[in-house]
Amino acid sequence: MKQNTFYLLAGIVGLIEVGLFWLSVVLRNPLIITAGFIMGVGLLYVARMTVTDIREDERAVLISQKAGSRTLEVFWVLFFAVSLGSAVIGFGTPLGLPRPRELPRDFPRDEPHLGYFGIFQMIMLCCIAFLYIGFRVYYARKYGEWDSDEE
Amino acid sequence: MKNKIKVFRAMHDLTQEALAQELKVTRQTILAIEKGKYDPSLELAFKIARFFGVSVEEVFIYD
Repeated sequence: MKQNTFYLLAGIVGLIEVGLFWLSVVLRNPLIITAGFIMGVGLLYVARMTVTDIREDERAVLISQKAGSRTLEVFWVLFFAVSLGSAVIGFGTPLGLPRPRELPRDFPRDEPHLGYFGIFQMIMLCCIAFLYIGFRVYYARKYGEWDSDEE
Repeated sequence: MKNKIKVFRAMHDLTQEALAQELKVTRQTILAIEKGKYDPSLELAFKIARFFGVSVEEVFIYD
């Protein structure tokens, strides 16, 4: 498979995922998009292995590795902080630690906040992508990706 | 680490693209090594030296 064909396939899979998400919301069935997303990513991984005209050498691998590890180093702090906050909300419900009798007015009630938390997580995932791109650009510049030819 | 890839390349009348194709890397990698922005792996360093028919020490100088 050519690299451009792979990008085309990735676009089609992306559109299908949007459709599945819409279907999931309409049918109120989260399993559709969950299973669909896993299958879509699996399909893209398999398809990527068949790309023949990809040219990736050790420097490109190093740039990807450095950008990935830096993203993880920075992001786990933010993600852990948010998760700790979520844990406090979780333990604040009757299922966790006993709540104080007088709750502050703005303390989260027992309504299901899971969906909103999911949206918040998706926003954070988008932040990961931007952070990764930023680090990738930084390391690509460091290792001479866009240097001019002196020949 | 300094290197003499550009010199050896000129001696063999090779472009960066041609050398990159021989070594199965990208032209940008050859350019980055020549400019000292990227230190190649041992494997690539040996490949480069072997391609020019010299020892690694003749191509790469540790300073």
